[in-house]
Amino acid sequence: MRLFTKARMVCTALVAAGALAACSGAGGTTGSADGGAGTADQPVKLTVWSWDGTVELAVPGFEKANPGIEVEVVNAGSSSDEYQALDNAIQAGSGVPDLVMFEYFAVPYFAIPGKLADLGPLGATELEGDYVPSAWNNVTNDDGIYALPSDYGPAVMFWNEATFAKAGIKEAPATWDEYYEAAKKIRALGPNYYITQDTNDLFFLLSLIWQAGGRPFEVDGTTVHIDFSDEGTQKAVAFWQKMLDEDLVNTKISAWSDDWNRALNDGTLASQNMGGWLTSTLPERAPDAAGDFRVSLMPQWEEGEKVGAENGGSAFGIPEAAANKEAAFKFLEYFTHGEGLQPRVDAGAFVPNTSVLDSTEFRGVKNSYFGDQKTGEVLAEASNIAAVGWQYPPFFEWARSTYADIATPFYTSGEGSLAEVLQTWEQRSVEYGNEQGFTVD
Amino acid sequence: MTSARRRQIGWAFVAPFGILFALVFIVPITYAAYLSLFQDRMVGGRSFVGLDNYGKLFADAQFWDGVSRVVWFTLIQVPIMLVLALALALAMDSMRLRGMRFMRVAIFLPYAVPAIVSTLMWGFMLGVRYGLFGSINGWLGTDLDPFRPSTTLVAIGIMVTWAFTGYNMLIFDSVLKAVPHELYEAAAIDGAGELRVIRAIKLPALRGSLVITIIFSIIGTFQLFNEPQILPSMVANSGITTYYTPNLYAFNLAFTGSQQGYAAALALVMAAFTIAIAYAVQIRGMRNALDQ
Amino acid sequence: MTTTADVRPPGSTARRHLYTLTNPRKSGTLTFLTGLFTLYCLIPLVWLTINSTKSQADFVSSFGFSFGTRFALFDNIAEVFTYDGGIFGRWLLNTVLYVVAGALVSTFLAALGGYALAKLEFTGKRVFLFVVLGAISVPGIALAIPQFLLFAQLGLTNTPWAVLIPSFLNPFGLYLMWVFAAEAVPTGLLEAAKIDGAGEFRTFWQIALPMLVPATVTVLLFSFVSIWNNYFLPLIMLKDPDWYPLTVGINQWNKLASTAGNGELLQNLVLTSSLLTIIPLIVAFVSLQRFWQSGLSLGAVKG
Repeated sequence: MRLFTKARMVCTALVAAGALAACSGAGGTTGSADGGAGTADQPVKLTVWSWDGTVELAVPGFEKANPGIEVEVVNAGSSSDEYQALDNAIQAGSGVPDLVMFEYFAVPYFAIPGKLADLGPLGATELEGDYVPSAWNNVTNDDGIYALPSDYGPAVMFWNEATFAKAGIKEAPATWDEYYEAAKKIRALGPNYYITQDTNDLFFLLSLIWQAGGRPFEVDGTTVHIDFSDEGTQKAVAFWQKMLDEDLVNTKISAWSDDWNRALNDGTLASQNMGGWLTSTLPERAPDAAGDFRVSLMPQWEEGEKVGAENGGSAFGIPEAAANKEAAFKFLEYFTHGEGLQPRVDAGAFVPNTSVLDSTEFRGVKNSYFGDQKTGEVLAEASNIAAVGWQYPPFFEWARSTYADIATPFYTSGEGSLAEVLQTWEQRSVEYGNEQGFTVD
Repeated sequence: MTSARRRQIGWAFVAPFGILFALVFIVPITYAAYLSLFQDRMVGGRSFVGLDNYGKLFADAQFWDGVSRVVWFTLIQVPIMLVLALALALAMDSMRLRGMRFMRVAIFLPYAVPAIVSTLMWGFMLGVRYGLFGSINGWLGTDLDPFRPSTTLVAIGIMVTWAFTGYNMLIFDSVLKAVPHELYEAAAIDGAGELRVIRAIKLPALRGSLVITIIFSIIGTFQLFNEPQILPSMVANSGITTYYTPNLYAFNLAFTGSQQGYAAALALVMAAFTIAIAYAVQIRGMRNALDQ
Repeated sequence: MTTTADVRPPGSTARRHLYTLTNPRKSGTLTFLTGLFTLYCLIPLVWLTINSTKSQADFVSSFGFSFGTRFALFDNIAEVFTYDGGIFGRWLLNTVLYVVAGALVSTFLAALGGYALAKLEFTGKRVFLFVVLGAISVPGIALAIPQFLLFAQLGLTNTPWAVLIPSFLNPFGLYLMWVFAAEAVPTGLLEAAKIDGAGEFRTFWQIALPMLVPATVTVLLFSFVSIWNNYFLPLIMLKDPDWYPLTVGINQWNKLASTAGNGELLQNLVLTSSLLTIIPLIVAFVSLQRFWQSGLSLGAVKG
């Protein structure tokens, strides 16, 4: 039949043009029978999913040192997009990468249902000593080690010295009480001035609770306990409620938005309590504020204390379904501990390795954007004091998206309270968790 | 030529389309229907639950919240958009416009803009702090904010109308171009005025395409997804929940909530709902066209 | 000002007479009102164009509708094409491949099917049409997972076929072709050709298709746009950036800005690449529109 011939001709023409020639060869990892150690005779190709651009920098050195292994770093999306893609690939049973980047809270989501390989037998156990305690805590549970930390988010305070000075404040607020007083002075500078913003920023609220000693999630295998009524949580929530009630926090500008970039740039948003990684992005976000910002430890709950928390950070794990686990671990170790680490640090990656944080090289560098402050010292200290014992429930990915649903009415109307928001959140999370087969109370 | 042979040939014409269609639509829909009978759990895996997902769905307040939102959106946005598109198409066809070609291209252009880009642009332009609304509020001393929970849907309406009015206009326009010009000549000879020509010739000619644009607009708004999915990363507290529209809810259930079976049930119910409405709208127009 | 009437084939004096009779002069009011709507459509694009000329630093610090301190459009374009090893050029080629192959095949299949539905009798025609129109009301999101799993089974994910095969289908195009064929192709002419001994396919190819040219261009145009802007399906199907179309690539750049963490801020590249993405569509549309207005086939219908 002529019409079919015609259609085929179109396809043939395209193939002839070379456009589709590579189709059949693309994608997929080539597995090898020996578990994927990779030799020169039997080369192994690793696929790494990462939205951290610095991982790529470790590839040339690694490939040179390991002739049998070829590494391809792919950005398969950031955060949720990537987790969905991984879930899809695992379900489809094809295209599963050998190494995957996770934010810390996403590790249990994959680890508990058995989707991640235990890295202990591959040699991860001895690496514990090189990590600050809380980072290690993030990737392990009683059963095993499911990822290796690759970058870190110790909560610190970035504050705009110029704006603070305008409000008559010369020192970084050392306690949350001082922060509250500073907020009032900054608010008085003008209608657009706020000490910070919060538009249901869950990770900030959790870092506040974390630092105050609250541990609302307790996870033991498939048993999860959720409780927002402990003392630390209540202290943190009451404080932040007061800040919101008194209009000391901008609830219209959300972090990472264009408005946020601009408000940081013109100094009307005076501080950010965020992960240390902001150090490398702030200069891009607020180029005009060069020289104005400083980094300090997060304000403390009690004067003279030194307690920290985390806000963000990520790790790499190896899917159970990955074809080349041994080779994958080799590369993982290389860019988190071996020769591959330094190029990443030089490019701005902030890592929780004590070997880096304690080095005079890291601590001594003056950062011109921060008025020649030695930001490394502050970040290293904040990393070391991050409190341990925090856990995320395995269904946190779902829970965090639901949190926004519940918190938005409060943030836009001011009706209700943060405590009520958390209560509803707890209730919904318990329901969902039980539905998913966990034992949650 | 026998009628049996002609039947065969008709199928041969639609076969290439039909085979691909089965692969891309029918098989996945069937698979979705199969999935909708199962429940996925992070612990315990997949288990057969019969029609439980459907029962749960009909009792799910979040689902109905999203449905009522898109129904309201459809009832308001679709008529506005189509009346605008119709008016613009008639204006173009009247040849009474200066710069007609330029305007036609300009009005269609938004359709060519990917949703990601258009949401980016509108998110900025409607911003209260540094966007146009910031300036408007500055001049008038007002406190308007297009992205409060109460107004976000209006802002989305503005974005959707922006994107699709030109597309619908072009459909009407192309139908008007297909009207045989003898009809206009005859009308002119009869002394009919322009409005009468519109009423007696152009609007009846447009009826079929009006039916189809209504159907496609309903399908489109029922599937509202891109804007509410992209907006939250750009503006704070817009009131867009994970179940803001049924489609967004299905997406979040399937991808964030690992509830593929439930998501499939939701999608199929929405499809049935959409087909029922589309069928109610098209039943007359379709018959007419088929019986020609 | 050229009007549509000028590009129509020269007609009888009666038609000329008609033109002057029914359209004696331009209407200021109508032009103004349509102009207002045109403005609504253009403002965001003006914003995009202005902001594509700014450096990243200027974008953050200057008002949206004013230019930056430095005209950086060409720097931005150069950076778009060199960033990350020139991956943008690859995305552009991918998109061109998806669009050209997808639009041509889908338009041809739609013309074939639409013509058959309009002009050929065969059993199950109504069922076919209802199934097609019914199936497109199923939310695409719902189909995404089953489609992904099916394509993964066939080994098509992460290859261009995963994007191309769905692009070969344009149910709306099928519908348009059906409507046009029903109205613009006189059945008598087809019968005459068949009596002269032409086969069904030859009748379609030689008699019907030329009459369907306006519809073909329309469908081609819409396929072109929808494939060019296709985002969700490639996002799910492709994990290898080497096969990304522009939309997915640009969104990935944009996500870097709104993702907390080490993400690089590339808004100037996002905006410039968005502008570069839209321009080919504008060019295609303008050139296709001229073709489409020729009304050649309508002349043929009359003749």
